[in-house]
Amino acid sequence: MSNRDDDFTADLLQGTLDLLVLKALSAQPLHGLGVSTRINQITKGTFDVKPGSLFPALHRMEEAGWLKAEWGESENNRRAKFYSLTRAGRRQLETETEDWQRISLAIGSALRAT
Amino acid sequence: MTLFSKGGSLLRNTTRRIQVDRELTEEVGTYVELLTEKKMNEGMNEKEARRAAMVEVGGVEQVKENVREGRMGFAMETFVQDIRYGLRSLLKKPGFTLTAVIALALGIGANTAIFSVINGVLLRSLAYGNPERIVMLWEKSLTGGNQQNVISPGNFLDWEKQSGSFEHMAAVWDLRANLTGGSGEPEEIKAQFVSAGFFSTLGVQPVMGRAFLPQEDKTGNELVIILSHEVWQTRFGSDPQIVGKQATVNGRQRTIVGVMPPGFHFLDNQVKAWAPLALDPAVNYRETTGRFLRAVARLKPGVSVQQAQGELAGIAKQLEQAYPTKNINWGINVVPMHEQIVGEIRPILIVLLAAVAFVLLIACANVANLLLSRAAARQKELALRAALGAGRARLLRQMMTESVLLALMGGALGVLLAVWGIRLLIAFGPDNIPRLNEISVDLGVLAFTFAVSLITGLLFGLVPALQASRPDLNDALKEGGRGSTSGRTGTLRNAFVVAEVSLALVLLIGAGLMIRSFARLQSVNTGFQAENVLTMRAQLPGKKYPEPHQIVDFFKHAQERIATIPGVQAVGAISYLPLTGLTSRDSFKIPGQPSLAAGQEPGVEVRVVTPAYFQAMGIPLLKGRLLDERDVKETRVLLINETLAKRYFPNTDPLGKQLEVMWDGSGPDEIVGVVGDIREGALTKEPEPAIYWSHPREPYSGMALVIRATGNASRLTTAVQKEIRGLDPEQPISEVRTMEQVIAKSIARPRFNTLLLSIFAGVALVLASVGLYGVMNYSATQRTHEVGIRMALGATRSDIMKLVVGNGMMLTVLGIGIGIAASLILTRVMASLLFGVTATDLPTFAGVSAVLAGVALIANYIPARRATRVNPVIALRYE
Repeated sequence: MSNRDDDFTADLLQGTLDLLVLKALSAQPLHGLGVSTRINQITKGTFDVKPGSLFPALHRMEEAGWLKAEWGESENNRRAKFYSLTRAGRRQLETETEDWQRISLAIGSALRAT
Repeated sequence: MTLFSKGGSLLRNTTRRIQVDRELTEEVGTYVELLTEKKMNEGMNEKEARRAAMVEVGGVEQVKENVREGRMGFAMETFVQDIRYGLRSLLKKPGFTLTAVIALALGIGANTAIFSVINGVLLRSLAYGNPERIVMLWEKSLTGGNQQNVISPGNFLDWEKQSGSFEHMAAVWDLRANLTGGSGEPEEIKAQFVSAGFFSTLGVQPVMGRAFLPQEDKTGNELVIILSHEVWQTRFGSDPQIVGKQATVNGRQRTIVGVMPPGFHFLDNQVKAWAPLALDPAVNYRETTGRFLRAVARLKPGVSVQQAQGELAGIAKQLEQAYPTKNINWGINVVPMHEQIVGEIRPILIVLLAAVAFVLLIACANVANLLLSRAAARQKELALRAALGAGRARLLRQMMTESVLLALMGGALGVLLAVWGIRLLIAFGPDNIPRLNEISVDLGVLAFTFAVSLITGLLFGLVPALQASRPDLNDALKEGGRGSTSGRTGTLRNAFVVAEVSLALVLLIGAGLMIRSFARLQSVNTGFQAENVLTMRAQLPGKKYPEPHQIVDFFKHAQERIATIPGVQAVGAISYLPLTGLTSRDSFKIPGQPSLAAGQEPGVEVRVVTPAYFQAMGIPLLKGRLLDERDVKETRVLLINETLAKRYFPNTDPLGKQLEVMWDGSGPDEIVGVVGDIREGALTKEPEPAIYWSHPREPYSGMALVIRATGNASRLTTAVQKEIRGLDPEQPISEVRTMEQVIAKSIARPRFNTLLLSIFAGVALVLASVGLYGVMNYSATQRTHEVGIRMALGATRSDIMKLVVGNGMMLTVLGIGIGIAASLILTRVMASLLFGVTATDLPTFAGVSAVLAGVALIANYIPARRATRVNPVIALRYE
C-alpha cells in the first residue's frame, strides 16, 4: 500500500468518516471490527477503514458525546467494546446527512455546469 | 450524555490514564483476534490469518498513539473553542461584560487587599530565627490588674538565674537618645538598651560587625552601639567601614560595633540603635528603681509555652515570699511573640475579612443576575445550538467557561485594584498596625486571588448556566416566542436580590456601628483644650546638663524665650504628654488612712510640670492653687486631680492633707490644689488618679513643651525652634505636633478601621442597589405587555407604580429582615472594637435599615416610573 493512497483515504475520510461511522451504528451497536465491516458493506467495498483511523474516530466521537461505549460479548464470546449512538449522535447524523446531501448536490451541479 | 459521564471521561483521560490504556489495549487486541477469526473463516490457516490481521492493523502501539492524540486534541480543541467563543460573546456585549468585570474586580480586589494584609500580618512568620520559640515575658497582677506589666530589673535577673526553660533571655529598655555623628543635625532617636543575649534570643545577627559581647553588658564596658540599617544608610552614608567608628549618644562617645539587617526591629520599627543595658547583678534594683523593662526569651527546643509558664509561676511564688513588699501578688506571664504582635489586631482583621467576603458574595449575586438576564436574552441562541446537537453538558461547559473567563478578567483587574489599595493602606494606615510595611502582593496572595476568581466564576456561573442549558426548545424557537423567563428563573432572580440586600445590610450595620463608635470617641471630653496648642519634645543630654538645676533652668529659659514670640498665649512643659502612650505610674498611700497590704496600694499617674502647663493646656484649677516658681525641690507640695480627690477624699477637703507617692521613699507631700481630670492614656480610658509635681522636685531631662497660641499654633513652629536653637544650638527637638494631631494619632487605628469598613459597606450598598435596579428594570420591561393590558383596562399610573414598586420593596423588606437577624448574630464579633455603643445598637440598626430602604426605593422607582410612561397601544404590540 503506497503512502499516496493513505493520504487520499485520510483526506477523504476527514469529512465523511464521522458520517459513515454514525450511519454504520444507526441500525445497531457494533464493536470496532463490526463498524469497519459494516462500512465496507454499506459502501459496497469502496471504503476499507483501517484501525489506525477507525479507533481515533470512535474515541473522538465518544468524547464529543455522539457515541457511547459498553463492554459486551462478541458473536464468538469474546469481550469487546460495543459502540452505539446517543441522542446527540442521532441528531448529528441527521444534520450531517442533510449537509452532505446539500454539498453533493451542489458539487454535482457544479461539475455538470458547462 | 450527562455532565457526570462527561466529567468522568475527562477524569479517565487524566487521572485514570493507565486504566484507559489497558482498555484500549484490550479493545485493539479484540479487534485483531476477531479479524484473525474472520480471515480463518474465509479459508486462511491460523498463522496466515494472524499475520494478515497484524499487517492490516498496522501496529497496535501506533493505533493507540493515534487514539491518544485524537482524544487529547479533542479536549484541547473544545477548550480553545469554548474560550474563543466565550471571549467573542463577551466582547459582543461590552456593557454587560464591563459591568460584570467591574463588580467582580471590586469584590476580588477588596478580598485580595485584605488577604494580603492578613498574609503579611497574621500568616507570614516573623522575621526572626525560629520565631515560634520566641516569647515575651511580663509581670502580671494576680489580683486581676495589668496582665502585661513591665518588669523590675531585680526580678529579671532572678528569672534569668533560676529558670531552665530558655536558651536565651534578654531585657529591653526603650529610651530616647540624642545622636550626633555622621551627617546632619543632632537628632533625638528611639533606642533600645538591651542585654547581651538580645540578638541571639531573636536569632538575628548584624549584617556588618558583630552583636554585643557578654563583657560589654557590664558597667564600664558598655560604650558600644549597634545601628539600624536605616540610620546607617541615612546618617552614615552607607559607610562600608563604619564598624569601629565613633558615634555620640547622649553626649558620650560610643564605638559602633555592628549594623543590623534592613527591616530588623523589635516591637517598635522606629528604633534606630541598640546599646548594652549593663544591668549589674550586685545592685539591689528592687530598692532603687521600679518596673520599667520588657523581656524577651527563646524557649529551649522541645519546651512548650505551658511548661515555661509553669516553671516561671513557681519562680514567681518564691520571689513573692522572698520580697513580700515588692512582689506580693505579682506573677509572670509568658506570651508567644506572634500572639504579642498580632493578638490585638486579629479581631479587626477578621471583621474586615468577613466584610470583603460579603462584598464578593454581593458581587457574585449581581453577576449571577446579569447572567440570568443575559441567558434569557440568549435563549434562542442556546435552543438553536441544542437543536443542532449540542449536548446539555456542552452548553453548560460553554457557559461556565464564559463565567470563569469573566471572573478571571475581574480577578486581573481586582489585583490591580488591590495593589493600588494596598499602597493606600500603607500610606494612610496608622503606624501602630504591626508589620504593615511587610505587606505586599506576593505569590501566595496571587494564588489566593486566582483561586477566589475561579471559585467566584463557578459560584455565580453555575446556577444561571444550569438554568439556561435546559431551554424549552419548542417555546424558545417559536417565532415571536417572548423569550420570557420562566417562573423559576424569576424566583431565582428575586432570591439573589434578597440575598444582596441582606448582605449589604449586615455590612452597613457593621460600618454604622463603627461610625457611631468613632463619633462617640471623638466627642469624648478630654478635659483639656486641644485647639491652638503646639507641642514638642526636648531631651537634654546628661553629659551636657549633669546638674538638676541646669535642666530646670534650660526649660525655664526656653519657656521665657518662647513666651516672647508674638501670638503665644501661654507656654508650659510636662514630663509625659497625655494620649501619647508614655506614662509613669507608682503606688501611693495617704498618711492617716488605713494602709493596704504591701503590693495592694493604689496606683497613681505621676507627672512633673512647669507652672504654666495647666494654663497652656487649658486644664481648670478646681480648688486651692497651682504650682509656681516658689515650689522648689524642698517645698514638698503636689497637685492632685479630681478623680483622686473624689475617690480618696470623698467627704473631706483634700487641701492641706498629706499624700505619699512611694517614689523614692522621701516621705509625704502636701496637697495644695485640685485640677480637672483629663484623658491620660487613651480616649477610651476613664481618668485615673494622678498627681503633679513641680519640675525642680523631680528634674526630668526630657520634657514636652506645650505652647498655646492665639491662632493657628503650627505657624509658630519655626519661631519656637529658633528660640531653642538660640538657647542651645546643638539641642534637637522632636515630635513637633499640635495637640489636635496628638489626639488624632491616638485614635488613628479606630479611624482607619472605620474608614475601611465604611468603604466596603459603601461598595456593598452600590452593588446591591445596582443589582436591585437591574432586576427591577428587567422585570418592568418584561411586564410591559401586562402593564399595557392593565392600563387599557383602566388602571391608573399610580396603580401601576404601586404594583411595580411594591414588588421590589417586598424583596427589599424581606432582605432587610434577614439582614437584621444575621446582624444580631454577626456584629457580636465586633464588640471589642466598639466604644460607647453596643453591638446591637438600636438607632444604628434602625437608621441603616432606613437608609437601605431609601436607596432601594429609588432603585425601584426609576424603572417603575418608566413602566407607567408606557403607551398602552405600543405596550400591547410589544412582543
